[in-house]
Amino acid sequence: MVNGLIEEIKARVMGAEPVEVSYTEKGYHCALETSPDKLSGVVGFFDEKRFYLECLLCTDYTDYLELVYLFNTHLAPCRVKVALKIDPEHPVAPSIAAQYASAYWYEREIHEFYGVLFTGHPNMAYLFLHNGIDHYPMRKTKVPVPSEDQARLDSFKPGEEEDTFFINLGPQHPSTHGVLRVVLKMDGEYIERAEPVLGYLHRMHEKMAENRTYQQFLPNTGRMDYLGAMSFNLGYVLAVERLCAIPVPDRAKFVRIIATELNRICSHLLWVGAYLADLGALTPFLFVFDDREQILDVLEGVAGSRLTYCYFRFGGLYNDVDDEFIAGTRAFVKRMWSRFSLYEKLVTGNVIFINRTRGIGTIAKEQARKYGVSGPVLRSAGIACDLRKIESYSAYDGLEFDIPVGGHGDVLDTYKIRIAEMENSLRIIEQALAKLPGGPFMAEKVPKKLKPPRGDVYQVVETPRGELGIYIVSDESDGPFRMKWRVPSFSNLMIFPELAQGVLLADAVAILGSLDLVIPEIDR
Amino acid sequence: MGERGFHLEKEIIPVKFALVEKVLDLARANSLWPVTFGLACCAIEMMAAAMSRFDLDRFGAGVFRASPRQGDLMIVTGTVTKKMAPVLTTLYEQMPSPKWVIAMGNCAISGGPFVFEGQYNLVEGVDLLVPVDVYVPGCPPRPEALLEGFLKLEEKITGTRRFPRVESAW
Repeated sequence: MVNGLIEEIKARVMGAEPVEVSYTEKGYHCALETSPDKLSGVVGFFDEKRFYLECLLCTDYTDYLELVYLFNTHLAPCRVKVALKIDPEHPVAPSIAAQYASAYWYEREIHEFYGVLFTGHPNMAYLFLHNGIDHYPMRKTKVPVPSEDQARLDSFKPGEEEDTFFINLGPQHPSTHGVLRVVLKMDGEYIERAEPVLGYLHRMHEKMAENRTYQQFLPNTGRMDYLGAMSFNLGYVLAVERLCAIPVPDRAKFVRIIATELNRICSHLLWVGAYLADLGALTPFLFVFDDREQILDVLEGVAGSRLTYCYFRFGGLYNDVDDEFIAGTRAFVKRMWSRFSLYEKLVTGNVIFINRTRGIGTIAKEQARKYGVSGPVLRSAGIACDLRKIESYSAYDGLEFDIPVGGHGDVLDTYKIRIAEMENSLRIIEQALAKLPGGPFMAEKVPKKLKPPRGDVYQVVETPRGELGIYIVSDESDGPFRMKWRVPSFSNLMIFPELAQGVLLADAVAILGSLDLVIPEIDR
Repeated sequence: MGERGFHLEKEIIPVKFALVEKVLDLARANSLWPVTFGLACCAIEMMAAAMSRFDLDRFGAGVFRASPRQGDLMIVTGTVTKKMAPVLTTLYEQMPSPKWVIAMGNCAISGGPFVFEGQYNLVEGVDLLVPVDVYVPGCPPRPEALLEGFLKLEEKITGTRRFPRVESAW
């Protein structure tokens, strides 16, 4: 597919010089440089070819700023990196928010962290930062915020209109699962407009990465998405291994899969409990925590912590699994298989639950592509995109599992998909346990101080919430020059304002819950 | 309380007020109602402490209230950012007195792992905003640690410890 695409880009887009790059080294298939005046032509080409915008990021190379647009297709991986260099003195770039709805938030993010002004963007108000900020935090040199930008700092001010009123959902609200704030413009019980305000838990992970070595950043990964800590840990470790070309022994690969899948079940269980609590059913919470504690016991034995795991290391694992872990995992798998019928009786067949969730928050395929949603939300729209299968990493390609998809794209579908995913995770764990090879759990000769070659690398993994992408730029020092986290909840939340339009307030809570948001991951 | 309530003028109160306070304190200590205020990772451990295995209800503290006006204990579970700080202060002010605060986790205590030179978005410790009664360290603290925090708070309110202290094994 890549070769054909390169030819087509050359023929169709004037002056574009696409280059094929090694996927195993870089994590993307094709790179291409463009200029501000040609950008809209390039983006239009990818839009026509049904690509989705995976990520949009900025890197400050001191003498120039580089915007990177990553495009990809859902069913056959073909990742294209489009780079655009801009002047750091007067950083201006054309907005592509009209073509890709997901760029709307990415451009706002880049504006407040780098000061890049996107011409044609409808709303450049700040999304993350607080009012007192006086410089662009991610720039390498201290650049003060100019006075015209100061006016944009106070992120959202609702205007007054007759017959409507505003409600703040959050930042302290039980159904936002943390500190998300959504400003709702209400017409009676119905929502006219929803405007999320982020940044109440912005913990500067990306800035911290630039101040640390690769090893020192490891504990941060577990704190970014505390429910799927293993997946985030795995993604980061894989990215650095790809950057430094560190081989991983087979035993480590399989243990990583077992630990990640256990963590995935853990995360989905918590979602089931929390989501039903949002809908008013508090009993399932007690049941899911009972199951969850069994997993935590198993993982704690090897990883040493209950929640914010930091179990994987570059080239392997922190320590090897013992017989106790394997016996514990087997016992849990056996127990979990018998629990599904309980959840079926308690939740899935419950008529109140079905009536609350069926037919609301419906996502169409095209909408899902425009917003770049991923994970169970994407699969509920009927697109069978699971990166474990499509862009296999670790040892997933040797294991058998299904990708559950939905038929309607509504909230009930996301629930059914998550339950089916738990069953598939159990299948994966069973197979991985059966295949678990012996041998070392850590690669030999991994240097204490990593000095990766100059260049960039992109790595994706499928977390419980969807597609996680890590983009690392190395400058040959022992720490990353730039690290960008493309997080699943961020792009899943982008679709919420459109889904919430015209629905009842109570249904909006059901839709928001179905996205399975983890706020520290959105805010980073 | 009607005409015979405790709001009578001070010199003609026939009861020892301090004793009533003691009884009230005992009641308060054994029915702490926390505000549902989950910030970050520690909130999950707070939920775990309230759920099946650890069962915070044993100490009368499992009634999590969604509104600050109904709670008397705020558990700050996670990192407080500069954007969140005014919200947190407002919530604290909305709680009726007497009220207590538990700072759970290293972030709430001092900023924890997110303090570095040049940080621009962090309040380094929630005690810079509101008075804190009990600090529960850990990243995140285990549910057992939070339970111990509750016992400590009970001890602070009543002056006596109801449950025996668990001796460390090492």
